[in-house]
Amino acid sequence: MYFQQSMEPVTTLLSLLLVMAVDSTRSVTLCRNQQCGNFLQQTLKLTRLIHKESVDLIKIYKTTQGDMSELFCKISINNVPDPNISGLDPSERIVSIYSHIQAFLPHFKRVYEQQTDLQLPTNTLMTELTRVSNRSSSLAAMVNCIYQSLFPNMPVPEPAGGPTSLPPSQNIFQQKVYGCVVLKRYKEFLSNAARELRTVKTQVCKKRTQMNVLS
Amino acid sequence: MISWRGLLHLLAWACLLSRKPANCADIPEKPENLTCVAVQVKNNEISPTIGCTWVPGTRGSRDLNTNYTLFAEVVLVGLKRAVAKQNNSCEITLDSYPHHMILNIWVEAENDLGKVESEHLSGDADFIVKTSPPSDVKVFSEKHFPTSLLINWTHPIAAEYLKLIYQIRYCSSGSSTWTHVPPVDTAKYIQSFRLQYLQPDTVYVIQVSCKNMREGHGHWSDWSANVTARTPEDKPMSKPDLWRVITPGDSAHERKVLFICKNPVLSNGKIRSFDIRVQGTKWENVLVNGSDSESDYDSSQRKTTHLKQIVLSDRRMGYVEVIAHNSVGKSPKALLVIPKASQELSPVEGLKSWIHSGRLWLEWRPPNVPAGGDAHKYTVTEYVVEWASGAQRDWQREYANTTQTVIRGRLEKYKRYIISVYALFSGWTGKPVTVETFVEQGKPSKGPAVRLNGNPGSTEAELVWNEIPQDEQHGFITNYTIFYSTGTEEHAIPVSADTYSYRLKSLSSKTSYKAWIQASTIAGSCNGTQHSFITLKYAPKEIEGIVVGVCFGFLFLVLLVVLLCIYKRDSIKKTFLPQIPNPGNSSIGTWSPDFPSKADMPRESALADVSVVEVDLFDGKSVFEEDKACLPLKKDKYLSEEHSSGIGGSSCMSSPRQSVSDSDEGGDSSETTASTVQYSSVVACNGYKGQTPSCLPQTNSQPTFSRSESTQPLLDSEENPDMPRQESSRLLHLFPLNPQPRHSANFADMDQLEVEDHGGLLSLRFSALEEDSLQTVPTEEGQSSDWQQAAPVSNYMSQTAGYRPQ
Repeated sequence: MYFQQSMEPVTTLLSLLLVMAVDSTRSVTLCRNQQCGNFLQQTLKLTRLIHKESVDLIKIYKTTQGDMSELFCKISINNVPDPNISGLDPSERIVSIYSHIQAFLPHFKRVYEQQTDLQLPTNTLMTELTRVSNRSSSLAAMVNCIYQSLFPNMPVPEPAGGPTSLPPSQNIFQQKVYGCVVLKRYKEFLSNAARELRTVKTQVCKKRTQMNVLS
Repeated sequence: MISWRGLLHLLAWACLLSRKPANCADIPEKPENLTCVAVQVKNNEISPTIGCTWVPGTRGSRDLNTNYTLFAEVVLVGLKRAVAKQNNSCEITLDSYPHHMILNIWVEAENDLGKVESEHLSGDADFIVKTSPPSDVKVFSEKHFPTSLLINWTHPIAAEYLKLIYQIRYCSSGSSTWTHVPPVDTAKYIQSFRLQYLQPDTVYVIQVSCKNMREGHGHWSDWSANVTARTPEDKPMSKPDLWRVITPGDSAHERKVLFICKNPVLSNGKIRSFDIRVQGTKWENVLVNGSDSESDYDSSQRKTTHLKQIVLSDRRMGYVEVIAHNSVGKSPKALLVIPKASQELSPVEGLKSWIHSGRLWLEWRPPNVPAGGDAHKYTVTEYVVEWASGAQRDWQREYANTTQTVIRGRLEKYKRYIISVYALFSGWTGKPVTVETFVEQGKPSKGPAVRLNGNPGSTEAELVWNEIPQDEQHGFITNYTIFYSTGTEEHAIPVSADTYSYRLKSLSSKTSYKAWIQASTIAGSCNGTQHSFITLKYAPKEIEGIVVGVCFGFLFLVLLVVLLCIYKRDSIKKTFLPQIPNPGNSSIGTWSPDFPSKADMPRESALADVSVVEVDLFDGKSVFEEDKACLPLKKDKYLSEEHSSGIGGSSCMSSPRQSVSDSDEGGDSSETTASTVQYSSVVACNGYKGQTPSCLPQTNSQPTFSRSESTQPLLDSEENPDMPRQESSRLLHLFPLNPQPRHSANFADMDQLEVEDHGGLLSLRFSALEEDSLQTVPTEEGQSSDWQQAAPVSNYMSQTAGYRPQ
C-alpha cells in the first residue's frame, strides 16, 4: 500500500511525459498523413491569401506614411531578403520557400516595432501587419509540413549564410523606406512562392498519386 | 515505430486511469451537438471570435458543478482554450481567423470526478464560416424578354478568403409563397443569374444567399434585402372573362342585356381596351377606365368593365364576341350566346350552400339532359358561379366536372348575397338556379319606423311599417315584435316576418301610448323608432252619434215649438201683439145731444166708416177760445149710427167697447165709474182749442160736434176739457176709411204721428197737418164744406192728465 502511494506521483509524471512525447510526434504524423494534393492546395490558398493581404497592406502603409510614400517603395536597400526562390529540385525550392518566410518574419517584427512609434495603436496598419505576420508563420509551418510529407527522410536544412541580419537603428525616413521595401519584397516573394507551390503540386503530387495507384 | 507509439499512449492512459477508479454515473455527461460559427464582420473579414453552442449533459450537473471549456486548436499553430460562462455556449478568440488551415474545436466538461470531451469539430477553418449576404443585389428587366429577370450581385468576401456558392428565391409581390431556384443552377461562384419562366407584367421580389463552396462546409448566410422588379408586358395569352346581366326590358317580351367583362387571367399587361361585336355587327372599341397599378389574377380582384347594353327580344337569340387589348397585342376571342327566352337550357340540380370557416361553399348536380335531347349538345363545358349584392356583382368559372366549389371572392358578412349557378354549353348559358344567403348574419342595424294608419280610435289603433332596407337587415328577418307601452305597462306582440301592419285593440281611451317595432334575425334584434299617439276620448262614431242626436233633438224641439206656436197663435198673438184699433176703422160720429147716448158697440171686424154724429151745441162760437171758452162737454150718451172701431180695427178686440160715457153718471170725468169708461168726448166742430180760430169760418150753421168713437178710453184731459192743455198738443187726427172723397189723411200721414211720452202715458201728437187734411166727419145732414175747409183739425186733445185707470 505504501509502495503504491509513493509510486503515484512518479507514475503521473511519467505518464505526462509520455503524452507530451506522443503529441510532439503528432504534427509530424499529421503532415505525413496529409494527402499531397489537398494539403498543397490549402498551402497554396494560404499563400495567395497572404499575397492579397500584403497588397492591401502596402496600400494601407502608403496611406499612413505621408506624402512621399511612393518614393519610399522605389528606393532599394540592403539587409532585406530577396523575393526570389532558389534551388534546383522541388525539395530545395520548398526549403527555399520555407527559409524565405522565416527570414521575413523578423523584418516584419522590426517594421511593426518601428511603426508602433510612428502610428496610433488603433491604426489599421498595425492590425494588418500583425495579421500578415501571423499568417506568414502559419504558412511557414505548412510549408515545413509539406516538405516533411514529401521528403520525410530529409531534415530541413538551415539556411545558408545564417539568418538575415536586421538593419541597425534608423531614422524615420529610413524606417519608412525600410518598411515599404520589406512589404514590397514580401509581396513579391509570395507571388513567387505561390507559383512554385502550384508547380510542386502538379509535378510532385501527381507523380505520387500515380505511384500510389500503381502500388 | 507506430506500434511503439501506440503502446506508449495506451500505457500512459492506463496509468492515468488507474489513479482513481471512476464511476460513469458521476463524471459529467458528454456535451452533444457542438455547433460553432465564425461570422463575417466589416472590412470583408471573418471575425477571429468563434461562437460555439452545445447541449450539456444533465447527469453530471445534478449534484456537482460542471465546468465547460472550449478548445480551439489550429493545427501546426497552437491551441487556445476558453472557459465557458454558461453550460451550453462559449466564445473563443484567435489571433486571426485561420483561413485554409486545419481547425479543431471541442468542448470539455469537467467536474471533480472527471472530465469528458465532446465530439471534435475538425476541418478546414472555413467549415464554420458564415459570411454576410451578397451585397449590392440588383434586378434588371429587359423589354424583349417578358418572362425573364436578370439578377446581379457582389461577392460578400474576397475569393482568397472563401469561395462561395449561392441560392436564389423569388415570389410575386403580395404572395407569401417563395419559389427557389434549383440549387444546381446557382451552386457556383457566380455574381449573376437570369430568372426565367416568369409571368409578364408581374412584380417579383428576389433574395439571394451564399455559403462556402465546399460541400458540407460553412453556414448559409442570411437572405439579402428584398429587391423588386417588374417583368415587361406581353400580349394576353387567355381570352377575356365575358359575362352578362339580364334584366327585364321596358316593354314586354324584351330583355336588357348588359355585357360585362373581366381582364383575361393571363393579361400579361394592363388591358387598355376591349373590342366587342354583337350579333355580327361592326366591332366597337371600349376603352378601359382607371389605372391598374398591379395585375392580380385572383378572380375576385380583377376589375369588371361594362362593355355594352342591348335590348334583346325574348324571341331572339343573341351572341357577342370580345377581344382584349394591351400595349403589346390582343387576346384570343371570347364568345357568349344568349339563347331565346323559351330555349334556355337546363339548369343545374339540387343547389345547396353552406358556410364553413367563414367561406361560402356550394354544391350542385349537373343538369339533366332532356328526354330525346342530343347529349352532345347538352354537354356542360363549364359552370359560372355568380354572386351579387346590391349593385356589386362578381362571378367565377368552374370546370365542367366540378360539382362543389367555394366562392373565391371576398364576401362581406352581414350582406345578403344572391348566388346563381349557370351551366354553360359551349358558350350557351343555361337557366340559373339561385339561392340567397349570408356569409354571416348579424342583428339589423336599424329597426322599422312605425307609424299610425289614419287616426287612432278610442280603443284601437292601426300600426303600419315598412320593410327595413336590405342593406340594413344584416340577416334574414325571422319575425317582428310589436311593442306598445303606456309608460307603466308594456305589451309585446310577435308577428311573422311578412307582416307590415297590425291593429292594436283593447286600448284605453284618452291614453298616451308609445309603440315601436323590433325586427329580429337569428343573430339578434333591433328596435325601431318609437311613435307616440293618444287615443280619443270618444270614438268618432260616438261623437257623430251624439251630434246627430243633439241635432235631431234640437230640430224636434224647434218643430215642437213651431207647432205650438201655430196651435196657440191666437193666444200668443193676443199676448205679444195686442190689437190696437186701427184708427182707420174708427168712426167719428157727428151727433147732437139729441141723439140717444147709447152707442152701438163697434163690431170687431168692421172697419166701419167713421160716422160723425152731429151734435148740436149751444152755439157755434168758436171753439178756439181757450179754456174759458171751452165748451163743456156733454157727457150724454151718444148714439152712433155706426159702430166705431178702434184704431187698427178690432182684431184683437173681442167685442167692441162702448164708447159712450154716461152723462147721467156725473159730469166729472174723474168720477168715471168702473162700469163706464169714457171713450169719447164731444167737441165742438168749430175746432178744438188751440187751433187757429181764424181759420175757422164763421158760419151760421149750428155747430157740429164730432165725436170719435174709440175703443180706447179717454184720458182725463179729454174728459175734462177745462184742464190745461198743452198748446203744442195736437189732436189725434181721424182717418176716415170710407172711400168717400174727402179730405182725409191717409196712412202715410200717420207717419207724421209722434208719440209723446207724458209721464208714462203715451200721447199721440200729430205733427202739423195740412189744413186740408183735417178730417171732418161727414154728417148726414151734410157738412159744411166751409167748415171743412176752415177746420183742419185733429180731433183729439193731448191727454195731459194721463189715463185714469178704471
